[in-house]
Amino acid sequence: MPGHRRRLLPDPAPAESPIVQPTASRSPVLLRIVAIAVTVGFAFPAGYLVWRNFTFHSDPLGVLFSERTRGPLLRTLRLAVLVSASTAVLGTALAWVTTRCDIPFRRMWQALLPLPLVFPTFIGAAALIRTLNPGGLLSDWLDNLGLVWDVEMRGLFGAWLALTLFTYPYVYLPVAARLRRLPGSAEETARLLGDRPLAIIRRVVLPQTATAISAGTLLVFLYAISDFGAVQLMRYDTVSRAIYTTRLNNQPVSMALSVILLVLAAVVVLVERGATRRFEHAAPVRSRSPVIYRLGRAKPIAVAFLAGSVALALLGPLASLADWAIDGIRLEASGGRDLLVGWDDVWAPTWHTAYGSILAAAVSVAVVLPAAHLVVHHRSRIGTAANAVIVSAFALPGILIGLALLFWTLKTDVGSHLRNTLVLLVFAYIVRFGGQTMRTSQVAVAAVSSRLTDAARTLGAGWGRRFRSLELPLMAPGLLAGGGLVMLSVMKELPITLLIAPFDFPTLTTKAFNSIEEAFVAEAGIWSGVLVVLSGVLTWLFIVRRADYFD
Amino acid sequence: MVLVPPVPLLSVQDVYKCFEGASVIEECSLEVGRGEMVSLLGPSGCGKTTLLRIIAGLERADRGTIHVAGTQVAGNGTWVRPEDRNVGMVFQDWALFPHLDVAKNVGYGVSRSKRSAEVANTLELVNLPGMQDRLPETLSGGQQQRVALARALAPQPTALLLDEPFSNLDSALRREVRAEVRRLLQTTGMTAVFVTHDREEALVLGDRVAVMDAGRIVQIGSPAEVYQEPASPWVASFIGDVSLYPAHADGPVAQTDFGSIPLLNARQGPVEVAVRPEEVELHSGDNGAGTHTVEEFEFQGADSMVTVTSPTGARLLARVSGTQSFAPGDRVCPSYAGPPAAAFARSGPG
Repeated sequence: MPGHRRRLLPDPAPAESPIVQPTASRSPVLLRIVAIAVTVGFAFPAGYLVWRNFTFHSDPLGVLFSERTRGPLLRTLRLAVLVSASTAVLGTALAWVTTRCDIPFRRMWQALLPLPLVFPTFIGAAALIRTLNPGGLLSDWLDNLGLVWDVEMRGLFGAWLALTLFTYPYVYLPVAARLRRLPGSAEETARLLGDRPLAIIRRVVLPQTATAISAGTLLVFLYAISDFGAVQLMRYDTVSRAIYTTRLNNQPVSMALSVILLVLAAVVVLVERGATRRFEHAAPVRSRSPVIYRLGRAKPIAVAFLAGSVALALLGPLASLADWAIDGIRLEASGGRDLLVGWDDVWAPTWHTAYGSILAAAVSVAVVLPAAHLVVHHRSRIGTAANAVIVSAFALPGILIGLALLFWTLKTDVGSHLRNTLVLLVFAYIVRFGGQTMRTSQVAVAAVSSRLTDAARTLGAGWGRRFRSLELPLMAPGLLAGGGLVMLSVMKELPITLLIAPFDFPTLTTKAFNSIEEAFVAEAGIWSGVLVVLSGVLTWLFIVRRADYFD
Repeated sequence: MVLVPPVPLLSVQDVYKCFEGASVIEECSLEVGRGEMVSLLGPSGCGKTTLLRIIAGLERADRGTIHVAGTQVAGNGTWVRPEDRNVGMVFQDWALFPHLDVAKNVGYGVSRSKRSAEVANTLELVNLPGMQDRLPETLSGGQQQRVALARALAPQPTALLLDEPFSNLDSALRREVRAEVRRLLQTTGMTAVFVTHDREEALVLGDRVAVMDAGRIVQIGSPAEVYQEPASPWVASFIGDVSLYPAHADGPVAQTDFGSIPLLNARQGPVEVAVRPEEVELHSGDNGAGTHTVEEFEFQGADSMVTVTSPTGARLLARVSGTQSFAPGDRVCPSYAGPPAAAFARSGPG
């Protein structure tokens, strides 16, 4: 749809006499049945986990409140709070500098700053370890200058730094989008009334971006409690890592921890619901031209801040991945050590990654569409309920979905048929990430307004022609956007893939993770490099170019 | 005079429609002759758009029948789908297909074989040559409006329905586009019904005006009829500025405290007379003498609107030439200098 892409959001209805709303007609029965079935699917892993926890052994509450679970819980909370705080500050500051200050190369910074999203956290964490640990790139380099660096990347500090650097875009993107849309007039008024820039930020800008900041920060909080990759590599024993390590030898503890994590995620979802309701009145207006502040002598500081962030979160990790791969290839060329990857071997995991993520994306879009349609065009109660469940499932940490489905296939007859199948893996991906398509699907469905189909009907177009010529092309951009987000997420997914992927279905993430854990550095560099390039392309297509969409 | 077209091209009989228990259209009937242009005028929410959508087939009436060119399309168990009615419609926000260029929008309703010729013709007709490849969002409001019109006209519909077609244009453009559309519909001889809440638009464009209120058509007639012979006080004030002035009728004449006013229909007893402001003349009283007091004076350029009050507190609007000037507090003598006026029964002393 060339030229149509920018009109992703539906036009507001004209202010004059109200357009006759499509009657809240009864939705087609088939659509409702499909929506209910999909909802049950999305709720299944969490439901199974709870049910199992309370039927599996005699003293669920005893384990739930034991010493074994308290430590991981406290660590998870500590990490999540620290990461949320630091990303809120970092993301907001970066957004403000790139949208409101007279910095050079603005477009370049705006394109680079979301890109740390291309790193799965475990790859980012591995790269940080490799770069910043004593003996890593940075300390080698500092050694040459005669400086000593002995901060070790481990535990809380390492996990905090890794998560902050690789999740701040979740705050940066919505805040920057909001700042771009805020009308400059409010800031100009404050200025005319005598406020200095700092006062304007505090009294005008921050209150108006509060929704965006809090939404982004909540997303980061959710990410931090569910993260498995970074904490595993940094050896910081949070709930999700503890679940992983106890899943085989101490299932009651593993189960109890899962329920704790589930409750934590549910709390975040509830807070999010409450927050969006409270802030609903904040209406963004497309701004003519935002106010730009002259930094003057502070400009070098601002540029250094941007450059430092990009260097730490993007260039450093990329350099160390390249460093690993090149080292390994050079070593093999000189006959030092054979690489454990032949070039032929790269193809299969790459294909698996692409295949799995495309499949999950396509099916996600298809199964979410009925619910989106019910919500937008029929204002149906079933649609609303399905919407809530599907979107909330996005808060489910992957490790929980993986664990629930793993146990299900191990402990039940029905489940055993699906053990080690691609079907189960894709199902898990959809439950985990399908919710991401809900909003874009709703936008897609809403793009086919009843006025347009009415117009087509008065011009003599029947059902088939309307679908071909209107509905499909109008929905396509929204559906593609949703599918792209799912693809990107699935590509970077680790714990689900680790737990339930078929044995003969290695993906780039599992290959990279195993290579890192077994310290095959060169191989890790190659797997990660391919993965980062793939996800980089998708991030560019579906996130950076659509940055405005995140408001 | 009541104009009843000999062969109605479009006929709406006793249409009734309710949404969720509340009626929005109550027993509406309307006949439109070939080549005639009827404006449906009413305030927001009076059901005029719903009536239009029922004619198009986009809503189903609960009762009543609709005929298009002699064929029954709805009612008594008959139902012709909107796509088979051959009735064109121009939507309030034009509803252009955002992903199709102008040529594809205009050609949407035309069969493939005739498409390119018809598109070129129609674009010529609406004065949009050379715009075929543009996407709707790149066009100005006036241009989008013309594309919407062209799209509705291209399949050569039996009749054209227009839903507030000018409300999305700014006022300067509106007058220009309005005149253009009228010329266009007249030259093509198109039968048209259009909905508006703008009384000036309704009077200028309609061969006849149907005034709607709360789901009913309360008066149908030529623009002059509706303006000069309103059927009710509500119509009188909805269709233009008016003073409903207390008077005492005695046959064909009503007596007011500033003189007598001829009446359209003979009446007896207390009435209120619909007095249009342009039919009132104001004379400065000599030496501060005068029956009425100026309360408000609004200079509007070519003329001025003056509000005066009688000793009993009745208010009277007068439109005077822009060269006349008054100030609040001035004493004046109004007089009536117009055609016979409509009068409505009034309770209370007169």
